Amino acid sequence: MTEPMIEAVGITKSFGKVTALDGVDISVPRGSVLGLLGHNGAGKTTLVNILTTMIPMTTGTARVAGFDVGRDAENVRRRIGLTGQFASVDEDLSGFQNLVLIARLLGASRAQARRRATDLLDIFGIADAAVRKAKTYSGGMRRRLDLAACLVGRPDVVFLDEPTTGLDPTSRMAMWEIVRTLVDDGTTMLLTTQYLDEADRLADIITVLAQGKIVAAGAASKLKAEVGQLTVTVRLDAPGDVAAAEIALRGAGMTPTHDENRHLLIIPVASARSMTAVVRALDEARVEPAELSLTEPTLDDVYLALTEQTLISEPSVRSA
Amino acid sequence: MVTTVRPSVVHGEDTDIAWRGSGLGTQILVLSGRALRPVFLDPGRIFYSVLQPMVLLLLFSQVFSSIAETPAFPDNVSYVDFLVPAILFTTATTVATQAGVSMTSGLKNGVLARLRSMPVKPVSVLIARSIADLGRGAMELTVVLVLAALVFGYDPAGGVLGSVAALLLALATGWSLGWIFLAMATWLRGSENVQALSILVMIVLQFASSAFVPVEALPGYIQAIAQVNPISYGITGARDLALGNSGGSAVAITLLICACVTVAGVSLAVRGFVRVGRRA
Repeated sequence: MTEPMIEAVGITKSFGKVTALDGVDISVPRGSVLGLLGHNGAGKTTLVNILTTMIPMTTGTARVAGFDVGRDAENVRRRIGLTGQFASVDEDLSGFQNLVLIARLLGASRAQARRRATDLLDIFGIADAAVRKAKTYSGGMRRRLDLAACLVGRPDVVFLDEPTTGLDPTSRMAMWEIVRTLVDDGTTMLLTTQYLDEADRLADIITVLAQGKIVAAGAASKLKAEVGQLTVTVRLDAPGDVAAAEIALRGAGMTPTHDENRHLLIIPVASARSMTAVVRALDEARVEPAELSLTEPTLDDVYLALTEQTLISEPSVRSA
Repeated sequence: MVTTVRPSVVHGEDTDIAWRGSGLGTQILVLSGRALRPVFLDPGRIFYSVLQPMVLLLLFSQVFSSIAETPAFPDNVSYVDFLVPAILFTTATTVATQAGVSMTSGLKNGVLARLRSMPVKPVSVLIARSIADLGRGAMELTVVLVLAALVFGYDPAGGVLGSVAALLLALATGWSLGWIFLAMATWLRGSENVQALSILVMIVLQFASSAFVPVEALPGYIQAIAQVNPISYGITGARDLALGNSGGSAVAITLLICACVTVAGVSLAVRGFVRVGRRA
């Protein structure tokens, strides 16, 4: 087992009296993707800034690509790529010039830099706009240029801070595809997001950050199993049936909740096999359901259960 | 549009070449090129940066020309000949304040954030900015001098050589002051603050000096400021050079002050730049 490419132990960060991070531990093995999930202000960007040597931590230790982020920042910077929340490209330069600039700064010769820039523009689908100034690019193109810029030096570890925030659905899909290809390519990645489906789709491990603390970590399926609840939903046509069914289900030891408007009964169950018990109870009460379904927990449920907060700023995206 | 990424290309193909950073020289070269591009390639920017000194020259030569008749004014010198060395200095200080403003907008738009996450030395970024402003200053001052000679009848006793020497002195002063404004940009939050403070400092430096009228003609308390103002020494020095006087000591004092200002400015700017990300 090789050492993790990102390893953080007990990271805290205070800005004056505000504690942005409070004892965060993470470990990302080579070639895997950690999805860091949290609301605005949960501390995601602060953690990324610490791990990319942009700001010092208050206490704790962290190693990225085998180097200490505090003592050996220069070596960390040589091996990482960072794409922040806001596309950091030079708007007065063309896409091509932007990438050449980065490559030259990383030590490529003029010829190498031009070749790498051309290749990346081609890969990221912005070859047609290569000579246009970046200020004329659409939001999606800028993000792709920004991502290309962070890959110029073929980094060992890539940090993507909310790579799709503010993008339209099509650009988001395009971005996902690019990220997934990087993942398939074996890039170690830390990706922050507010979107649950994004974490579910792209990350191997999901870490949920709330108010500077990690409240849960694990594979998406594990998190769902731990926190989420399997439910059986029963829809009934006649209002009278709802009451009868509720009594029958309670009699069978279940705890249905009642959605009056839509004639729904929602019953938390331990496993899919409990479906039979639901059917039997309804049958005994001579109630015929119009619809019966088993619902897997979504990451939304997990997220809400863990953070015990409502999503105020962003309407959440339901994961399928 | 669906983008297809070929995995082998993202990281593949000559992966044996590891780019892990470039030397200080390359960094400065590449970044100066980037910073100089708009200075010489953006026609709008060139037009406006030249327009301001021309308007100043026009206004001052008309508004204050009667000063040449007053007893405090040196004999046998036309007001234009007296004024142009000062305009060189005010132009150079304006360029210097622009250095700070350019730096703050750079800090804002995220390009510098990317550079900080790369193996790029802070001092390269700052030197590149400074070199670009030196280029801009050289261009503007040359335009001022040429137009002053062609349009306003500027023809001082020191000849072309004297005027070029005056220009170089103004350029050096502006460049060293630029470091103070760069330092300010890295320490202060918000480009509005930087701009407001820069203009304030600039106005005091320009007007409480020997720029537009002889020091002796200023009210007492402003005279006191003017006598310790480095710009006064600079302008006096530049006038000595342009008018062919053999005063000399003002030039040496100016260069000495510039050297001190540069050392202080560079060290403050580098410290401020390293610190920028740390107050997020």
